[in-house]
Amino acid sequence: MSRQPSSAIRAGEKKADGAEEDDYMSMTISEPQGKETFTQRKLRKQRMAEARAKVPSKAERAAEDAARREAALSSSILDPSNKGYQMMAKLGFKTGDALGKRASTGNGMATKPETAATAYNCIQPHREPLSLVIKEDRGGIGLDNEKKRKFRDEAGEAAKRTKAEEVEYRDRMRLEREERRTEAHVHAAQKITEGLDSSAEEQIDTTNTAGDPDLGAKLDTGVAASRTRSNIKRTAKINVLYRGLVREREQNEQLLLTRHALETSSPSSFFPNPKLPTYDDSILDHEDEQALGLGQNNLAPVEQEPDEDDLELDEFNALDPHERLEKLVMYLREEHRYCFWCKYQYETEEMDGCPGVTEEEHD
Amino acid sequence: MTVRRLEADDGFRAKRRKTDHDKAGVDPKDNPYLAHIYPEQNGISRKQPFAKFVKHRTTAALAKEVEDGKTNPLTGQPFSSTYYSILKTRRDLPVHAQRDEFLRLYQKSQILVFVGETGSGKTTQIPQFVLYDDLPQTQTERKMVACTQPRRVAAMSVAQRVAAEMDVTLGEEVGYSIRFEDMTGPKTILKYLTDGMLLREAMNDHDLNRYSTIILDEAHERTLATDVLMVMLKSLVQRRLDLKIIIMSATLDAQKFQTYFNEAPLLAVPGRTHSVEIFYTPEPEQDYVEAAIRTVLQIHATEPEGDVLVFLTGEEEIEDAVRKISLEADEMVREVDAGPMKVYPLYGSLPPHMQQRIFEPAPPPRTPGGRPGRKCIVSTNIAETSLTIDGIVYVVDPGFSKQKVYHPRIRVESLLVSPISKASAQQRAGRAGRTRPGKCFRLYTEGAFRKELVDQTYPEILRSNLSSTVLELKKLGIDDLVHLDLMEPPAPETLMRALEELNYLACLDDDGNLTTLGRLASEFPLDPALAVMLISSPEFYCSNEMLSIISLLSVPQIFVRPHSQRKRADEMKNLFAHPDGDHLTLLNVYHAFKGPEAQADPKKWCHDHFLSLRALQSADNVRQQLLRIMEREELVLISTPFEDKKYYENIRRALVAGFFMQVAKKDQGKSMYTTVKDNQKVLLHPSTVLGYDAEWLLYNEFVLTTKHYIRTVTSIKPEWLLEIAPNYYDPETFKDDVRSSLLRVAEKRARKEKMRAEPVKKR
Repeated sequence: MSRQPSSAIRAGEKKADGAEEDDYMSMTISEPQGKETFTQRKLRKQRMAEARAKVPSKAERAAEDAARREAALSSSILDPSNKGYQMMAKLGFKTGDALGKRASTGNGMATKPETAATAYNCIQPHREPLSLVIKEDRGGIGLDNEKKRKFRDEAGEAAKRTKAEEVEYRDRMRLEREERRTEAHVHAAQKITEGLDSSAEEQIDTTNTAGDPDLGAKLDTGVAASRTRSNIKRTAKINVLYRGLVREREQNEQLLLTRHALETSSPSSFFPNPKLPTYDDSILDHEDEQALGLGQNNLAPVEQEPDEDDLELDEFNALDPHERLEKLVMYLREEHRYCFWCKYQYETEEMDGCPGVTEEEHD
Repeated sequence: MTVRRLEADDGFRAKRRKTDHDKAGVDPKDNPYLAHIYPEQNGISRKQPFAKFVKHRTTAALAKEVEDGKTNPLTGQPFSSTYYSILKTRRDLPVHAQRDEFLRLYQKSQILVFVGETGSGKTTQIPQFVLYDDLPQTQTERKMVACTQPRRVAAMSVAQRVAAEMDVTLGEEVGYSIRFEDMTGPKTILKYLTDGMLLREAMNDHDLNRYSTIILDEAHERTLATDVLMVMLKSLVQRRLDLKIIIMSATLDAQKFQTYFNEAPLLAVPGRTHSVEIFYTPEPEQDYVEAAIRTVLQIHATEPEGDVLVFLTGEEEIEDAVRKISLEADEMVREVDAGPMKVYPLYGSLPPHMQQRIFEPAPPPRTPGGRPGRKCIVSTNIAETSLTIDGIVYVVDPGFSKQKVYHPRIRVESLLVSPISKASAQQRAGRAGRTRPGKCFRLYTEGAFRKELVDQTYPEILRSNLSSTVLELKKLGIDDLVHLDLMEPPAPETLMRALEELNYLACLDDDGNLTTLGRLASEFPLDPALAVMLISSPEFYCSNEMLSIISLLSVPQIFVRPHSQRKRADEMKNLFAHPDGDHLTLLNVYHAFKGPEAQADPKKWCHDHFLSLRALQSADNVRQQLLRIMEREELVLISTPFEDKKYYENIRRALVAGFFMQVAKKDQGKSMYTTVKDNQKVLLHPSTVLGYDAEWLLYNEFVLTTKHYIRTVTSIKPEWLLEIAPNYYDPETFKDDVRSSLLRVAEKRARKEKMRAEPVKKR
């Protein structure tokens, strides 16, 4: 087996070398010239003998017989060298003619019978012998055609189905991709909105606290304070546009904290006090405690009513991502003069320079 | 011969007439010597019932008077009492009402197309109407009325019926003539015969001068012979202006005949039929036999009284269905108290007494007042047109029948199960409405009926090997076969094959003219190959034996193989087996049958040996007929002495002389054979008797089913082929294996010839 390609290549090379004008593009690969070995010949002979000795199965034989028969039945035997044909030719027969009364070369006969003759002859003349149909089973009339029809129908349906699936798949993939993209946009828009909202609040805070006398003292805790405030903010108070984002984040945080708490402090029968003895370091400030996970306050729920049904949020989430995005984009424009697509906060209410509200307009 | 008979008869009649006159006393009008004074009477006594009749001027009233009279106008004898009772039923037949109308059209026109549905009485009555108007016996040259039938059985049974109706003895005034059986006499004036027989008669009497009227009955069946007869008669009416032709058809596509016969007048008589409700299946059936059986049982369980007719395709299928239906019906009687049901098979090869059983009345209820019994007939398409069974109310039609097919390209003529035509389906349905409104259950969908069934069954001429027909046409003096005015001409290839075959058989020369051998072969009512075989058999010193073999090949299967005793039947058949094959086995059977042991009690002997006595007897009859033709044609009857070792070889050689176109050669290392020339793979039919693996075989029949079989075979030697049929066995015209084998044999022969020739030279 391995000899064959190498010898073929060699033969090809030789040929290419020998004749320069050889078109290597249409190079033919010649048969290996090498003599077959004794084993090969033996094998070949054996295979041939097997093929000869093989008794064909009934089905094979029937199929072969039918094929032979059909071959013989489908070829015309009209042959000018045939004696019978020659006799017919003497009477004026030509290939392609049908037998029967001459059309209208009536000799001496009245014209009426002639026209009558053509009337009954107008039944399609037989140029070919009637075809042979061999019935192989006891199937009733119409069964074969019914079977064929059903098969055809099924085949057609299957083809249609695969075609439909193909189209559907592409569409589905496209839609999914788009949806994912829109969701990502929604997410991004939510983040921006939250950020802008909170900075706007801060600004209000700062403006509020600007006149506050003990501003400086509170300044360092400003962030924490605002955060605490936002933390304890009632869910309903958070803008529904990004409430989902906040909740999700909080849930994630909670999950993390719970796990942490579990890992560090959950009691077990084997380790009744898993908490490693820690040194009580007085110099640990609040932040250190937090970092070490010692601050108990961290375990306090961020949100007051996390499990409560939030119809507003559900309603918002049920909306189409495009709609959600649209709402967010509009909110950003109206509240913050921020264009999500330009990624720019404009100075004026008119938002000069922004081509429009949709993504397409920003292309 | 016939002519001589007629002359003798005329002389006899003249004498009798004279004595009649003596008795009647002197009346100048009756005096034959004064007949020229009263020409219209043409020598017929006034006292005779036909006295008032003038040829082609009679009326129904006139005929009625004679029919109601006391003496039979044909015999001069008084009518018997049964005659009058039959006459009453005859008068009730639908055709009778239109007798006058028929006579008017018949008298007016040379050709008449008559349409009468089955049961109208056309086959029995019209020929009698014609007889009473045509008065063929009164013509100076005594003529006859002929009525053709497509089937032998029909010709026989109708003739018998009409003889009874006319109160005459069958074979006297009314007779029949079928192949190998002539039941007519010198007095015959009405003759029922197969269409094939009429064609044979026309071959020797181109103008059919012995007939005054020819009726082609059942023309709608479009048999080969009817189609050829129509061509012939169409031209004959121009030569014989006194000849009248009636084309009778059972279906309404008669316009076709009308147009063919130059717009001949048409008369239609409605059959006496009731409405038939037709039911279709909602889905095509998976197995039409099963479906038919199921349907019969459903009818039996749910439908009111009335007999059932089921159409199936062949003997085996029918016997199988009969068995199954009987078993199920008996169970129904036991389990659900259904009425009793008798189930009868009906097919062509069934012995006549068994066929008669279908006319038995339905069984009575098992208990007085119980559920009525019914009979169920499971039949081939014999019951479609040619047989009338009263009492049928339900018809089950699976839509198939066995039809003859021929294909010139592989030269195979076979019976194949094929879908019927719409016309056939209508005909079948009509059988349900004979006695009262009926129902027809078609085991196919209405859509399939409309789309899958052809309108009309293809005429036989499109489905047959035409070599016999071509020979007949040539003998009829018709030479331009290409432009033959057939109603539906066959495919050119079919004609080409026929001409080619006849040329190889040396019946036609290269110009298409009939040779001496061809002329001789046409004398025999046989396939040309068989005829040639018989004619050349004296050359092989075995004409007696060939005569026997050919007779046996011309009758139905002689071996009986009952379903329940197959093994025993095969054992018995093996008693006769000849290692060289079936033809010689047949000969062995015949010789044994003619032996003293068998002849002592043929019936018992046949029964013991699983042979059909009927088939053997008719083979004997055929042999007699062929023997007569052989003697007439001065062919030598000769046998090789049985002790001679060439006895069987000579017979096998003689077989080659006819069957050389039906030869198969064994495939190397396989059990299969390949037919030479057409290259079809074939198997030996299971019924074949062959003592060894023969390399070359000749066969009688190529049976086409899902498998290809050759049936009735004899082993031969390839050198005989080259010797006996050198024209056909030119090795160059063959392919592959056959060709190389033939070349080898030819070489061997040449060598032998040379060796034989050389010593002569030396001397």
